[in-house]
Amino acid sequence: MSHHQPLPPDYLNERNALDREILKHAPHDYLQFCASFFQRRLESQRAEFLLGQRHSAGAGVFPGSNPFGTTSTSGTNAGADMSGAAGAGAGTGAAGLGPRGGAGAGGMHAVAEEEEHDFASLTAASFPPHSRDLPPSATSDTMMQNNGGSDTNSAFGNFQGFSSNSDSRFSPPLSATQGALEPTQSFPNNYNMNRRTSVSAESLAPASADDSNWKAPQYPKSAEQTDRLRAAVSHNFLFSHLDDEQSTQVLNALQERKVPAKDVRVIVQGDAGDYFYIVENGNFDIYVSSTGRAEPGPNGLGSKVASSGPGTSFGELALMYNAPRAATVVSTQPSTVWQLDRITFRRILMDSAFQRRRMYEAFLEEVPLLSSLTPYERSKIADALESRKYPAGSTIIRQGDVGDKFYILESGEAEARKRGEPQALRGYGKGDYFGELALLDDKPRAASVESVTEVRVAALGKDGFQRLLGPVEGIMRRDDPSQAAGMTGSGADPLR
Amino acid sequence: MPSLGFLKKKRTKDSQGSASDFTPTSPVNDKHAGSPITPTLSKNSALHSEPESATDSAGPGSSHVAPAAKAEPKPQMNATATAAGSGQQMQGVNASSNTQNVPSIQNLIHQPNYAPNPPNQQQYDSGYSSGNPDGSHIPSTNLPTVQKSSGNPVRETKGKYTLTDFTISRTLGTGSFGRVHLVQSKHNQRFYAVKVLKKAQVVKMKQVEHTNDERRMLQRCRHPFLITLWGTWQDAKNLYMVMDFIEGGELFSLLRKSQRFPNPVAKFYAAEVTLALHYLHSMNIIYRDLKPENLLLDRHGHLKITDFGFAKEVPDITWTLCGTPDYLAPEVVSSKGYNKSVDWWSLGILIFEMLAGFTPFWDSGSPLKIYENILKGRVKYPPYIHPDAQDLLGKLITADLTKRLGNLHGGSKDVMQHPWFAEVTWERLAKKDIDAPYVPPVRGGVGDASLFDKYPEEQEAYGAGGDDPHGKLFPDF
Repeated sequence: MSHHQPLPPDYLNERNALDREILKHAPHDYLQFCASFFQRRLESQRAEFLLGQRHSAGAGVFPGSNPFGTTSTSGTNAGADMSGAAGAGAGTGAAGLGPRGGAGAGGMHAVAEEEEHDFASLTAASFPPHSRDLPPSATSDTMMQNNGGSDTNSAFGNFQGFSSNSDSRFSPPLSATQGALEPTQSFPNNYNMNRRTSVSAESLAPASADDSNWKAPQYPKSAEQTDRLRAAVSHNFLFSHLDDEQSTQVLNALQERKVPAKDVRVIVQGDAGDYFYIVENGNFDIYVSSTGRAEPGPNGLGSKVASSGPGTSFGELALMYNAPRAATVVSTQPSTVWQLDRITFRRILMDSAFQRRRMYEAFLEEVPLLSSLTPYERSKIADALESRKYPAGSTIIRQGDVGDKFYILESGEAEARKRGEPQALRGYGKGDYFGELALLDDKPRAASVESVTEVRVAALGKDGFQRLLGPVEGIMRRDDPSQAAGMTGSGADPLR
Repeated sequence: MPSLGFLKKKRTKDSQGSASDFTPTSPVNDKHAGSPITPTLSKNSALHSEPESATDSAGPGSSHVAPAAKAEPKPQMNATATAAGSGQQMQGVNASSNTQNVPSIQNLIHQPNYAPNPPNQQQYDSGYSSGNPDGSHIPSTNLPTVQKSSGNPVRETKGKYTLTDFTISRTLGTGSFGRVHLVQSKHNQRFYAVKVLKKAQVVKMKQVEHTNDERRMLQRCRHPFLITLWGTWQDAKNLYMVMDFIEGGELFSLLRKSQRFPNPVAKFYAAEVTLALHYLHSMNIIYRDLKPENLLLDRHGHLKITDFGFAKEVPDITWTLCGTPDYLAPEVVSSKGYNKSVDWWSLGILIFEMLAGFTPFWDSGSPLKIYENILKGRVKYPPYIHPDAQDLLGKLITADLTKRLGNLHGGSKDVMQHPWFAEVTWERLAKKDIDAPYVPPVRGGVGDASLFDKYPEEQEAYGAGGDDPHGKLFPDF
């Protein structure tokens, strides 16, 4: 057939999407596949339409607008931007909508071109009445809502109620008036409607130019003190995700500070926050002033909201970024606290994470199967590796299981054993890897790997690997097709 | 009956519009017809304020305007030049561009003593109907400057303008170290936005590096959905960045007023943001501060991403904790090091907020609770969220980097090809060929700022002289 006329872009869009799916899934039954694909598209659009009917949203602002609405019933493309209804999108909307699709506040808009718009009589109050036959269910409800008049904040136009009850008046005190349609309970109470400000910590670079020999400060403390400190922060999310090494470093870096008397303000509301504190002994009163800062004068601190005794902590937001303090903390007697500053804390975390990543990248370079990865790809894998600990004597890989993960040993020792054989097949130490053939196929593991000492391993599954880098075969075959077949040398996998 | 709207959507003949054919958007010519600055696109612009040009500091008489030959001929420019009565105009241009340029150069050389009103300034007042905010039309002759030879078309923006080029008007927005003003160019009468940053404050808040990055990133970027930086300068106390004035106000305001957006509306904005992120990431830039407050609506209702305060070039990994609490990705919260995929997480939060009206990890108490929620990662979807949207959100708002769309092998294409975006014709969208669902009710081109909230105005006068202890920290301004 001739192609004198170009095919419509919207149609081509759908066809291209179908093409992609065909390539991805390689179905045998093309007819069924295509039918299912289009069926899903229809379902999706219908879901949108129905949602729009049941739960209309801010619709007053967006007169019947589906910017992507494929040709509305109106012949003119003018409908394209106005077609469908707010929230329904499908473009077809209710039959018979025609060019009236979603006019809306045309008068308001600077878009002078679209003059054929009809305004729903909903806002007849404010608009030149281009009367429209609204579907009968353009309920008087909506009319009444509208006559709350002034809020037809004309700036936002009005909604063309193509599907009748999709109402929605857009009125500034939102939920109140829309209550009828919206289960407002899904909107949180006290939601902060104000602008949110950005936050930022200092720029730090790991092991960088200035300080490649930076070491975290260590302040001596007894084992018992350390235990108490560890307990004090155990519920704090900033600390609960630390690994052992980071945790130890952080606890060591806590510095003892004596508070010489009562009435000492350890932190002051509104001030810049740099330190985090744990109470060793003593009791502290916490005050919050409604002005957001501690003010001068007898009641300048505001009202007392809590007390803080031994084992409690305060000021942790300072460990993330420099935010103004949210409260004032005052001593009631000579006391002792431990303090830690943000830069030290973040430096510890960052250096530790950085070292780990470098370690991963170095290890990955040693795996023959992965030798054709670019540094960027290795970096992506390093990001995705998950690190976990196993106690001594655990089974990391079990013989006979279908293997899907690849492991790198970060620390400790492990060994490979086969059932029925008394001797271990081989041992693994730091930097060794195992299980990598799982990346190639799903054959069952030929041997188990068990930890001899407590070990830490980093693992990545085949699925994850392929999601990140694409099909494994493609990668393996880059340099040499025969590489995909297996490898030799120290990496030989006794699990095959 | 055919309406003009039909014409507006005229498609180009070969538009296929599918994501699979999608290539990174090449800069679309802005509809700033006759608008400023060819010079910002090529290197011929008025000022190359390199230190070497100390030789050019010969005085008010010299000009540093590069020869016209280097300019991409812009029909509008010539047209207006002639339209204004060429001979005299050009004359005026020469002289003015001299004076225009020189004070700025001198600004850099004699920084602390910058005199805001060099005598020649009065030579021209009006008459520039188009062109740079400072009114200079490039083609003026004069001394060719050293041309930077560089591979990329870097816009020359440094030291192009001064305070005296503009009439400063109301505040459009405020931030931690400064504010944005509506301004009008005294030369072409157009309106722009100038971001004013107090140097002392930037230093105090330890944002020097971020501020320099902001300038650098903005200068490199040219995209229909990113704000354009026209030029920068500094005086003793402040840094100044001249940008487009985007009239429609913040998406934030629209969202709060509407409470939430209908599915196709959220999809439209999400798609424009997706294109912008695709572009930024293709330049290895992470944006890091996606939120409705940073999305402006132009007068046709299309988005412009603004505020590049945290944008940074990051080929692989970076560490600084920055962003807005509700929008931070878990790997940022836990200080593990992160990459560009944090922008895709934030896109997920943005889509959720547009569809629901609130953010998924919000808590009325301390921000710490928000961070705990982010790390827990549990999202509850309101019933009115379209299933395709929910599916996409599940694949964006995930801590698993092997599952987060945008971070996978397919990159941003995975996002664009998601079923929720099935009806989006990306190529048309990139050309702004799709009409926006909402057109802000503003009068265009007259500095109508009615859609911006009011802020208490700045008391301190700009342009004060005096000590400049921090000038050296911002060499590119």
